[in-house]
Amino acid sequence: MSLGLLAPLGLVALLALGVPLLLHLIRRSELIDTAFAALRWIPARALPRRRLRVERPWLLLLRLLLLGLLALLLARLVLVDAAVAPYRDAIMVAPGADVASARAQLGAAGQWRWLAPGFPLLEAAPAPGPTATASLLRELDALAPAGARLRVVVPRTLDGLDGERPQLAHAIDWIVVDGSAPSAIAPATAAVRVHVRHADNADAALAYLRAALAAWNLREPARYTLDAQPLAAGLPADHGWLLWLGAAAPAALTSWVEQGGTALLAPATATRGRVLWRDGDGRVLARVEARGAGRLITLPASLAPADLPWLLDADFPDRLLAALRGSPAAPTRAFAATSAPAVGGMAATGASAAALHGARALDGWLAWAIAVLFVLERLLATRRREGVRG
Amino acid sequence: MLPTQIPAAVRSRLRGLRLTTRRDAGGAGLGQHASRSRGAGLEFAQYRAYEPGDDLRRIDWKLYARSDRHFVREAERDSPLELWILIDATASMRQADLARPDYAKFDAARLLAACAIEIALRQGDGFGIATFGGSPPCLLAPGAGARQRDRCLIELARVQAAGQWPAAGPAREAAARIASHALVLLLSDFFDAAALELARRLAAAGREVLTLQILAADERDFPFRGGRRFLDPESALERQAEAGAVREEFLRRFALARAGLARECATLGIRHGEHWLDEPLDAPLQRLFAVPEVRR
Repeated sequence: MSLGLLAPLGLVALLALGVPLLLHLIRRSELIDTAFAALRWIPARALPRRRLRVERPWLLLLRLLLLGLLALLLARLVLVDAAVAPYRDAIMVAPGADVASARAQLGAAGQWRWLAPGFPLLEAAPAPGPTATASLLRELDALAPAGARLRVVVPRTLDGLDGERPQLAHAIDWIVVDGSAPSAIAPATAAVRVHVRHADNADAALAYLRAALAAWNLREPARYTLDAQPLAAGLPADHGWLLWLGAAAPAALTSWVEQGGTALLAPATATRGRVLWRDGDGRVLARVEARGAGRLITLPASLAPADLPWLLDADFPDRLLAALRGSPAAPTRAFAATSAPAVGGMAATGASAAALHGARALDGWLAWAIAVLFVLERLLATRRREGVRG
Repeated sequence: MLPTQIPAAVRSRLRGLRLTTRRDAGGAGLGQHASRSRGAGLEFAQYRAYEPGDDLRRIDWKLYARSDRHFVREAERDSPLELWILIDATASMRQADLARPDYAKFDAARLLAACAIEIALRQGDGFGIATFGGSPPCLLAPGAGARQRDRCLIELARVQAAGQWPAAGPAREAAARIASHALVLLLSDFFDAAALELARRLAAAGREVLTLQILAADERDFPFRGGRRFLDPESALERQAEAGAVREEFLRRFALARAGLARECATLGIRHGEHWLDEPLDAPLQRLFAVPEVRR
């Protein structure tokens, strides 16, 4: 446990200590007026010397303390738990890596931890699902004490990367073993069931949708299947694609979308969301809006050639497919061997970030102490001074 | 209570005091003004029974005719002594001690004047007062009797010490007309050179002058500490000083000045005394008017 400052520049406020010092000293050098008729016999040369004696030293001390605490508050005083801060000498294992072969390669000694949020020990089971490996690497880099050497065991295929190779301040041992990181993205070949719920008068649209699906299946055979039912059938059980043709979408649709579904409503009025389609005259034909984990596409017009002439266009299947799929996710998977982090990032932030980790803010305590000191100061300053006339 | 009312303890101690003049001290010839000498004169004083040896001319025969007894008619002789009390009422007389800020030099001077008046009244002498400076200035020509005393005390009580020593004015003119047989009592702090100059002029003119320098105890002890700005009550003069550092030098210079004044007065044939604000009121009077040993 030790004390640390998150914003050491706040200590500049300590300059304010000069103010009460100056006040207490200047007051002291004031001369007392004294009527004295015999002043002609007082020698003229002995001018009053500047006295460095302070007036009311306890009050001054209190004021200095008050300002000092304020400066500490500005400098963000924290209590640092030194035991937590460094993952010094820990061997980080990315989920999916073959631990046994890594142990064979490095020896069993050392502290083994998962490269996962919170850096749990290896004995604990890793959180399922993909991890943001690049982000975790940067966090580890920031937390590690200066001069430490990071050792990271990664599977051959790494997930959770982002657009840029991590730039680390510390030297790193990038140990690639067999294995593959768990992935969030389902394989692109999975079958997609397209649910259509249509009102009775919306049968005409079904023909166009069937044609579109046929067009999709031409490119990816048997991937898309149609499940067309009337509105009364309600929401489908799985979170696939849903086309709700007809007025009055049920309230449950919103939660269905937020849980990961993709729904297309036609006709429906929407003012929010990004414009997806626009016709030649600039009129909005479709909007898309992210809702929770899913997306909601709204068409102001119904799926009829009179309202949406695009239905008759040759590229309508492609447009519909793109709209339902959404933008492709950024690639996060790569071979570990080719995505080793670069060394030579900024090291300056390391210290404060390490200090922040496991640090406990003392702002509340400081604020209380300041409040108490302020009350005391007021009491002392406004108390009637005894023995001083005038 | 008037500021000129003499404290009872002091009044009782005044009983042993007499205003004396050089002529008395010399013991020159007959008569002693200080006693209430009775005899032939204009002012009737009392009847007393005839005693053998009394001049037959002094028997009041008309009274004998009425009462069939011999009475001698006594009259009060005009006192030859006139007491002039000159009081310095300039602003410097407002000086008081830190320990007793409501008792200034001028208050002491007034009380001393009241004491002198009391003594003079008891001796049957005439007395008058004049203040130099002050507001309103006070000037009362000499006279005798209790009414004159009351007039003097009331007038004096009204005066506030203020201003500077006047260059001219009724007080100075009155001082110039003081009769030759008068006794002059000058009460001042003698911080104004004009006060000593007045005493010198009167002494040179043959008047008998008594000077009483009234000083504050602070001027003797200089109890100030720390940085001070000393202000002159009579002028815009000020002096900034570290009180502790200048104390020795001030005391030395002030003692020199006092000694110089005493020496000057001695040279001029002036009886000189000092009164500190923290000593009993009658102490300087005892020193000035102590009955000389020669007379006993």
